[in-house]
Amino acid sequence: MIAVLLSVAVGHAQPLSVRPSEAQFAGMAASARWQALLHINQGATLRGIGHSYVDDNDFFLAADGATDPVAELRASWQALRIPGSPVRCRFPARYRFLAEQLGWQAHDPLAQCHEYRQWREQMPTGQLVLVFPAAYLNSPSSMFGHTLLRLDATPDPDSVWLSQAINFGARTDGLDNSLFYIWRGLAGGYPGRFSVVPYAEKIREYAFVENRDMWEYALNLDTDELDWVIRHLWELRDINFDYYFFDENCSFRLLELVKVGRPQAPLMDDLRFAELPVNTVRALYAANLVTERRYRPSKAGELEHLADGLDARELAMARRLLADPSLADSPAFSRFAPARRHVIAQVAYQALRLRHRQGPRDSANARDGLALLRIVQRNPAPPERPLAEPPAPETGHDTQMASVGLGGQDGTGFAEFGYRLTYHDILDPLAGFLPGAGIEGLNIRLRLSEDDGLSLESLDLVNIRSLAARGAFVKPTSWFVHAGLEQAPVAGGRDLATFIQGGPGASWNWGGFRPYAFAVARAETVTGFDPDLALGGGTELGAVYLAPNLQLGASARLLYFTDDFYRLRTSVTADMPLSTDNAVRADCARDTWQGQAVNSCRVALRHYFN
Amino acid sequence: MKKLVLGAVLLGSSLSASAVAPGGPGCGWGNLLFEGSSGTGAHLLATLVNGTSGNATFGMTSGTNGCDTSGTLTYSGKSLLAMNGVLEEVAQDMAVGHGEALTALTVSMQIDPADRAHFDSVMHENFTHIFPREDVNAAEVMDNIQAVMKRDDRLARYVS
Repeated sequence: MIAVLLSVAVGHAQPLSVRPSEAQFAGMAASARWQALLHINQGATLRGIGHSYVDDNDFFLAADGATDPVAELRASWQALRIPGSPVRCRFPARYRFLAEQLGWQAHDPLAQCHEYRQWREQMPTGQLVLVFPAAYLNSPSSMFGHTLLRLDATPDPDSVWLSQAINFGARTDGLDNSLFYIWRGLAGGYPGRFSVVPYAEKIREYAFVENRDMWEYALNLDTDELDWVIRHLWELRDINFDYYFFDENCSFRLLELVKVGRPQAPLMDDLRFAELPVNTVRALYAANLVTERRYRPSKAGELEHLADGLDARELAMARRLLADPSLADSPAFSRFAPARRHVIAQVAYQALRLRHRQGPRDSANARDGLALLRIVQRNPAPPERPLAEPPAPETGHDTQMASVGLGGQDGTGFAEFGYRLTYHDILDPLAGFLPGAGIEGLNIRLRLSEDDGLSLESLDLVNIRSLAARGAFVKPTSWFVHAGLEQAPVAGGRDLATFIQGGPGASWNWGGFRPYAFAVARAETVTGFDPDLALGGGTELGAVYLAPNLQLGASARLLYFTDDFYRLRTSVTADMPLSTDNAVRADCARDTWQGQAVNSCRVALRHYFN
Repeated sequence: MKKLVLGAVLLGSSLSASAVAPGGPGCGWGNLLFEGSSGTGAHLLATLVNGTSGNATFGMTSGTNGCDTSGTLTYSGKSLLAMNGVLEEVAQDMAVGHGEALTALTVSMQIDPADRAHFDSVMHENFTHIFPREDVNAAEVMDNIQAVMKRDDRLARYVS
């Protein structure tokens, strides 16, 4: 196979000993493929344009290879032209590049590379797939998500459990639990590396342990293009890149890898600040690389779907069976029809696995698991109910948002202008997002008022909210954390407060209607007011209604502060999508503070963009 | 024979090594576990930067994540079972009668597509023979699968 591919030489056949001219070197080095093989920054990020992203001397044969693609090409030619050279085993893609460019004719040029050949044989070469594990339950920050690639043995494989995953992640050996390490991850303190692991491991990690839905996008790279990718992957073994959370992250690196297979694909022509996985997917669609999309529900999603098919009596039985599988022999269980018993036991089994998905398993739950599977097995299955596929992440609204609105506060009119860097709040248009999960970073609102002129109404640094619904089997704790600046009611009016607040809570899902309750703690400081730091505690009760064409919210938050004052804020919000990237939002709020109250209402147009 | 080895490999054992309990004490039906995440910091970091632990990450090194696979030729250099509970998934698929993990088993055993549905139903019918106890290990399961296949007219040819 390798020999066949290599015999397709493009240039004029040239003996290995003939040194190309400097002009030839320069021309080859400027080619898109060589630039891709060296990971030269074409301007997609601002650090080191024209230089390689690779941060590892082992990757370069020339001393200045990282900054000079021509020098690296010369050094590569020097080393790779020697038959039997071990360098050929380290750089099989570069070898292919030179052999094709210079028309090198050789029979089995990588014959000596046993380790590489053994590895190469194990790598499936049927199809490359981009995999996007979507946001997971109760972890809105996972919306920023992750992407990986998958290599299948054939297009449309029988079972992806036999496929290989190509992953790029920060290498975090010897990790302790300090928050310092998170900072290092964001700031580029860790080296990033590619890894190749069985895809089955990733299914387990994402769909099972983290309960993330997975979206799989098949790409149309052909066998020859895949050969480039796989050869180059080998070149990246144990090679370090810098890892930056915001731009040079996993999604960004995967695009580079796809470009090695198809250098002319317009994937990294624009500046890509804060590469989000969803935009990686969009970039692949825009470059006409995606042929098919598949949805793989999380285990919790599968369980929920199965449980939805049970009536209340059957659900109660499943719960009892989960607690004690020996009830299978009881008359109460035998009364159900065999097909119903099958589903009841399956629900109990999946709930058991979900409950024990982390931490050590003991023999008791292994025994219960097998007992439940036996019930499943001996009762014939009913026809399966197909699981409806939710809207895909890339069909959702764009990541940044600008808004303009009008409103009034106690009879005074104002205009408001907003900008949000990222990404989604719970009442934003729902398509493509996990219902009840919101994360906002850098959200600013300026108000122009008849009385006060221009003022900062609010600046959210971070606002994360997770309304994770409690179900029959999964009982997550909802939570929120919110920090920034906002106009708060103080003596004689409103003033800018710096605050942080948050707390745990619970939420339920009743057909799109989601009530919730939070315990709230808040610390704030307002310049010039006593005390310097006010500490408060209280509760927030509310509900949201989430439907494809309308999102509604109502809430009341009551806080008592140590300085013996209280604050009550009640609000209602309605948000209606006009199109994928436009929505209109109206809200009214009443802030009560020691018997005084401020009332305001506003309506705003919100536009999402990238 | 090759087919058999492949199938055995998928289940984290090999025929020649079946005298040695594959995976050791960290493996097997009763112990298929995920190493729990080690604290909030680790979890947050893993979420943010998708950290790799750095060991055995290029599909060539032998995996020792909780399971000892020494001396065993394994799928992609790792015991699939040892890494991610395929055995448990296969058990569920057999009980239900079909599924992706079970299909992976048939593919790796090079069972003709035309025989796969039959294989699935034979495995389903013989579930209690294949998984007789909760502490059955991968090698025993593989042996049991082969024994069942040998008794079946259509499947016997894959194990002879």
